[in-house]
Amino acid sequence: MKESIPDTLKLSAADKEEQYVHQVYNKIASHFSDTRFKPWPVIERYLRGLPSGSIGTDIGCGNGKYLGVRTGDVFIIGTDRSESLVDICSQRQFECMVSDGLDLPYRADAFDFSISIAVIHHFSSSERRAKAVSEILRVVRSGGTVLIFAWALEQNGRRKFDLSNQDVLVPWVVPGFRTHKGETLDNNDQKQVAVDKVFHRYYHLFREGELPALLQQVGGCEIIESGYDKDNWYVIARKF
Amino acid sequence: MRLITHNMLKCHVKNCTDPDKQFPLRFKDVQLEQIEADRNDEFLVRMLPRIDWAALLKTAKELNIELPDKVPESPADDGEFLSTLHTVILETHVKDGSMVCDGCGHEYKITNGIPNMLLAEHEI
Repeated sequence: MKESIPDTLKLSAADKEEQYVHQVYNKIASHFSDTRFKPWPVIERYLRGLPSGSIGTDIGCGNGKYLGVRTGDVFIIGTDRSESLVDICSQRQFECMVSDGLDLPYRADAFDFSISIAVIHHFSSSERRAKAVSEILRVVRSGGTVLIFAWALEQNGRRKFDLSNQDVLVPWVVPGFRTHKGETLDNNDQKQVAVDKVFHRYYHLFREGELPALLQQVGGCEIIESGYDKDNWYVIARKF
Repeated sequence: MRLITHNMLKCHVKNCTDPDKQFPLRFKDVQLEQIEADRNDEFLVRMLPRIDWAALLKTAKELNIELPDKVPESPADDGEFLSTLHTVILETHVKDGSMVCDGCGHEYKITNGIPNMLLAEHEI
């Protein structure tokens, strides 16, 4: 398995996210989507516990894994920064749009809930992560709840990280990657053999306690549950 | 995109701050499509407080869709109202066109049913 590497890129936060998050997801969307189908237990429990008639938003919805959990009695609008992932949601008949998590296109207090699963770790400065959280809270009504997951630094599963470095580039390997024209990316590859292609995504890995502290720093909410699940730290908070 | 979703959208361009013009966004050159969906009256009654009725009414008028001026006092007992509401907000899809902000003029495109709400750098 390919190792993660420390982020030593000399780029602005916005350029780093453009090159090492947005462009990568657009390229790996189809393979990424094929690996994302099983809802995580904490998230499924949260969604199943929502009252019928709730409406909410999934910010950074990826391939729409959670948009269909409560079809019919809870309405969820997905948004993602990646056009390719939103296209996949749309083909699956989910309600979705392209937008930026730092600047959501919704009116304030519009929704009963919002979820943002494994998304805010892709923002590359503490100010931008705080802005993302404040946007997630802004669009929820008073008394509504939010559920946020972010990758943990202290993972004990198939990925292991150097505990001294929270900002890393994590490889995504697409086996036998081919371009859309059916050719390998390697132009001088005469045999047309598909080659593995490695893409790096930027992550800020959250330390234990960092995610609840971020919500407290942003304010306007109380944390009602927090924990560790599926290599992520998570919080559920209620907006005041 | 369904009309329920449009009811949540607001212009978010920097320096575009007139609340009467940012919301609702005005549809321009849109193609609509009706797609049947199962009706769930409990869902409709319970989500109704989240709908901005004045905005929905304004949008419906622009699209020549009939909608009562006011929400009935007891919507749960008004099958005709719920049927109309269901058709308008959940079965009416915008396939193509755009949404325009009357405050700053920004035009948000809708392609194959997908709104693109990204802004240019100077608008953030």
